[in-house]
Formats: sequence, C-alpha cells, structure tokens
Amino acid sequence: MGRDFTIKLEPLGEKLRVKENTPLKDILFKYGIEFPCGGKGICGGCKIKMLDGDIPLNREHQQALNKLGLSPDIRLACRSIVTSDLTLEIDQFETFILADSSSFRFTPAEGFGIAIDLGTTTLVAQLLDLSTGHVLDAVTRLNPQAEFGADVISRIEYAIRNAGLSVLQNLIRESIAAMVNKLIFRHKVAVTKVVIVGNTVMQHIFSGLDLTPLSAYPFESKKKAFYSFSPEELKFHTEINAEVLFLPSLGSFVGSDILAGILATRLHQSKKYIALIDLGTNGEIVVGNKDKILCASTAAGPAFEGTNIRMGMRASTGAISSIRDNGDGIKFHVIGNEVPKGICGSGLIDAIAVFIKKDIIDVGGKIKDNTDHIELKPPVIISQRDIRELQLAKGAIAAGLQILLDQLEITHDQVESVYIAGAFGNFINIENTRRIGLIEFQEDKIHKMGNTALIGAKMSLFLDEEDIEPILAITDHVSLEMIPDFQDLFADKMMFE
Amino acid sequence: MSDILEKLTVCVERGKANKVSPYPPDLKGQDGADELTAEAIKKGISPDDILQKALVVGMSNIGQKFSEGKAFVPEMLMSAKAMKAAMVHLKPFFTSGEVKQKGTVVLGTIQGDLHDIGKNLVAMMVEGAGWKVIDLGVDVGFDKIEQILKDNPGTIVGLSALLTTTMVNMKTVVEKVKAMNPDNIVMIGGAPVTQDYCDEIGADFYSSDPQGAIDYLNGIAS
Repeated sequence: MGRDFTIKLEPLGEKLRVKENTPLKDILFKYGIEFPCGGKGICGGCKIKMLDGDIPLNREHQQALNKLGLSPDIRLACRSIVTSDLTLEIDQFETFILADSSSFRFTPAEGFGIAIDLGTTTLVAQLLDLSTGHVLDAVTRLNPQAEFGADVISRIEYAIRNAGLSVLQNLIRESIAAMVNKLIFRHKVAVTKVVIVGNTVMQHIFSGLDLTPLSAYPFESKKKAFYSFSPEELKFHTEINAEVLFLPSLGSFVGSDILAGILATRLHQSKKYIALIDLGTNGEIVVGNKDKILCASTAAGPAFEGTNIRMGMRASTGAISSIRDNGDGIKFHVIGNEVPKGICGSGLIDAIAVFIKKDIIDVGGKIKDNTDHIELKPPVIISQRDIRELQLAKGAIAAGLQILLDQLEITHDQVESVYIAGAFGNFINIENTRRIGLIEFQEDKIHKMGNTALIGAKMSLFLDEEDIEPILAITDHVSLEMIPDFQDLFADKMMFE
Repeated sequence: MSDILEKLTVCVERGKANKVSPYPPDLKGQDGADELTAEAIKKGISPDDILQKALVVGMSNIGQKFSEGKAFVPEMLMSAKAMKAAMVHLKPFFTSGEVKQKGTVVLGTIQGDLHDIGKNLVAMMVEGAGWKVIDLGVDVGFDKIEQILKDNPGTIVGLSALLTTTMVNMKTVVEKVKAMNPDNIVMIGGAPVTQDYCDEIGADFYSSDPQGAIDYLNGIAS
C-alpha cells in the first residue's frame, strides 16, 4: 500500500514522486494546469496527454472524454488518479500562449518548415507542411530565462552585470532545440527551413550579441540584420538540413516579432494606412502602408497583464475577465465561473469603462466620492491607484499612436484598419477600449488578430530575405521620448475623454 | 488679490492649465493657471507673490498628496502642465531679477537614460519652490554639468535614472563633481535608486518622491 510512482512532465522536464492514488488535481496546478470549470469534468480545460503509462478511466471520466471529443491518449487532470508511473504532456498554458491556427495566403513550397515565436515569457514552435500550409503540430514552453527576471530590462541587467549572456543564451538555445527536436522526432519529416522571431533583446541573447548597446541611450540594436545559424551549432536534430534564420529587428526595442506582425497584417502591401498595436509590456505600435512604415515602443508597462494592479492577475481561472452593465445591474464574468480571485487586463478596461459611464469615475480618472477603491464582485476591488496605472499604460499607447500619425501627417480617420495583437488583445472588449480612449479609431476598423508574431513567422517560411528587405527599407523607428511635448501629449491622453 | 491667488493655487494643485482644458471636469469652462497668472500680473500683484503664495503652495499641496499616496503620476503631470502654463508669464521676471530665487539647481536624467518624466516633475516642483532650475534634459553626463559648475560654483546637482543599467553612471558623475568641489551638493532619485546606493556612491541626498527633494532644498535655503 502507498507505493510511490514517478510522474514526468513534458515539456517542462520535471520529475515528481507521488503516492499511489494521488489525484492529479492536487499536484498539477502549480505546473500551469488550471481547472476552469472548477474540476467538474465539464470544460476539458485541464486536459493532459499521456506520453507513457496509463491513467485508468471510470465511466464518468470516459463519458466526459466522449462528450468533449478527445482522443484516447487524453485525460482530464481533474478526474485522474495516479496508479502507475506516468509521462504526461501538459500544455494547458497553450491557450494563453495563443498557438495560432489562423489561415493565411502563401505560395506552396517543397518540404516542411518550423516557425518559432521566441517571446520574453513564452515560446511557441509550429511545424508546417510547406506544400499545403497546414500546421501539423505545435509545441509550447515557458521561456526558461524567466528565472532571471520577467521583463527584458532585468534580462539585460543580468547579462551585463553578471556576465550572464552565455547563461541566458544556452538556456534559450537548449529550449528551442528541444522543441524543434520534438517536432522532428514526432513527425519524422525533412525540415528545410526554420524561422525565429522575437523582440530585440531575445534576438540579441539567442544570437549571442552584446546587450550593452541596448542598456542605455541611444538604445541601438543590430537592426535590419538577418542572423542565420547552422542546425549543428544550435544542436538541432542531426538529420535536419535546414537554414535557421532569426528575422531582423526594426530598431531599438522593436523586434522581428513586430516585423512578423507587419507581414501578418500585410501592412507593407496596403495602399491605405494600417495600424498594428501590440498590447504587451513594451506596447509596440506600427502605422504605415506600402510606401512608408513607422514603428515605436511605448513602454506601456505591465498594467494590462495584471502587474502593478492591486488584485491584478493574468487571464486565468478566477480572474474577472469582463464586466457589463446592461441597465439591469452590473454583470461580471469570472473565468471558470468560480469565486473571483482578481481581475485581468480586459476586466480592468471594462470596469473603468462601466464606471465612467455610470459617473462613478470622472473623466480625469478620479473616483468621485473620494474613496480609494470600488468594489466589484467580492472580494475583488479596483483601487484609485489601479485606475492611475491603467491611465499611464493607455496614455502611453494613445500618445505614441498620435505621434506616429502626426509624423505621417495623417489623422485617425485616414487609417483603414487597426489590428490588435498579443495575448491580452484577444480578451478585450473593443467598444470599451474606445470608451476609455485606449484606441481612438472607429469601432468597425478595429480587429483582434491574436499572435501576429507567429502568423508572420509562418508566412516568412515561404519568403526569402529579398522579400523582406524592401519592408526594412521603408520602415523607420521613432524614439517617442525624443519628441518635444511628448509629456504633455502623454498627460492629455491619460484622460478619459 | 488673494481671491485670484487662491484660485491659482487650486488650478496648480488640481492641474487646470487653461480655460479650454477639460480637466479637471468640475472646473470645466473656468479660467486656468494660464489666464489667472496673466490676470494677476495685470492687476499688479507682484510676481514674487504669485510664485510664493500661489504656485509654491499649489505644487507643495500636490507633492504632499503624492508622498502620501493620495495622488498619482497622472495628476502630477497635469499639475506640471498647469505650472508650466503659469511659468510662461513669470519667466521674464525671473530673468530680469525682479523675483529673488533661493539658489540654482541643475537637473538632468543620467547618461544613457531617456526617461525624463520624473525629472521633469522634480524640475517643476523645484522651480515652483522658488529655485532657479537649469534643466539639461536627458542623457546627461559630467561633461554637460562641468561648465555650469564652473560658471556658477555651488550650483546644486540633481540626477535621475529609471533603469538599473543607467543608474550606475551616477557614480562617475558624483565622483567628478566631488573632485571639483567636495562640498558641492548632489541629489539623486529615480525608481531603482535607494538610500543605500546614495550612500555607496557618496551622493548627498536621496528621496523617493519629489516633495522630499523640496523639503531638503528648503532646509538648505533657510
């Protein structure tokens, strides 16, 4: 009785020793598995894949799998009990990483390709059949560099101060190699091209470039340079005979993830002006058309991702993700339909939009009755400081966009389409982004586009360097901090008018 | 007279720059710092009184609230805007020497750093507290400060940094200023800066908020 079993977790590479009959629900939560329906076996949100070993099914579990249409090697963690050694693949966080499956136009090519989105927080690699454009498989991981800080500045600091560049480089190269090798191992296909996109700091670390120029003004990056690697030096599977290309950065902190966003939105082919807004910590923005493209990073800060917000959290179980006021009382949506634990970026935007409309928050952002917080669904609140944090973030994006438009000598009305990218972008209520003045374009022009970095990386599998160079030639980076009156514009754009 | 100055104090404290500004909403359509300062000068109120009895009080009030966590950066920025609008009218009197200032402070965001919002707020507050401010802008190394210290010995130096990677440049500037004159005061601030770091590099003063710098400067002046 009470034998111990070993559970291996992929792709994390973790090994756990657990007692017989331990419910997986008790041990997997801290490895990123969440239980959106609260462990009732309804939603399938906690699904895991058995790579080795078996989890026996009872009738209820079998019915749940049938109902959700899941394959025989899948189990629901909330219904599972350990009775043998197991190797499990847990990619619950994939939903949040946005392993994109959208379609795009391409010219069919021979062989297979791998597109990689190398993010500060998450990594996604997709295997594509280049003759059909179909995604055959995807693997995701967390960026192992996160141990050395969540944001790019702390990574730079670690690399410079602790001579840690090679440590960070080895970590990321090992992860990327493991992901690529896994895709090749599973499918045994001849991969001929690998494309990686990522922000400037990730590009520098992966390529082993000195980060000092990015640590201080004028924040110069090795812009517009393609870096290519051999599969051997990256320790990719020995059978692979592919070109591995890291797409070039656009300048300063605007990296090839944004170049990929340009490809994904086809901004560079459009006669009319198109805008791309990535609502992450760096808040990159792009406006342009086939003749001229301007880009900037706005340092919007992490408020949209729940950081610096009193009860802020990412969009996962227990987060208030949307708030509506239809006249018959305020309705809250909590992810997983359970007691709320906090609020995520989309919920925060909704909350402020709703309370402005109800005249509880004034257009300057002040809570009118002078209290320091507003109660949402207990125990969650938003504080006066939270509103101020959001004002800084939205002011930075809106002011940055205004400056790019001014430099192009166009108005908001002359922009034909606006694409919102990024993990957070997918959850937001567009009407409310307009109401709070985050995005000041007509509603019917605004589209959520998901992971544009990954879409663009996939598209670039079908392109050559010569196809991308013309985009680089018409793209300029704008340093917002150097614009006179930026501060006054920034202050104005913080208001909710 | 006091009525105008009271109104002006409120405008600076609450960030009402001018009449057309929609902010703050409850003062919509009313005169702002711009109009009130012009009016006060026209009515013959001395620029010194406008500065001391209105602007200094308004900036000090908002600075105090900021220190107490009752006001935040967006409000500080709006107050700075109002202050700036008032200062446009007062600047000629400063340069003519009609208004007596407490001393000179040279401010800059440290070499390698472009983040100047915090430094700008401090500049406004220091100016509002009755000091002459020489704002060197961003990316400021010792080379830019040196000439000012030669021309105006004893000028207080204030440096800010927002990045841990640029903060280290403060050390060099402090060393070089102290090499010129060991008694020359250097104040430092910014998000990554701490009292420990201030002690470590031999700077004279650190504050986590602008009001702390004002209190320190006023202590020197009195």
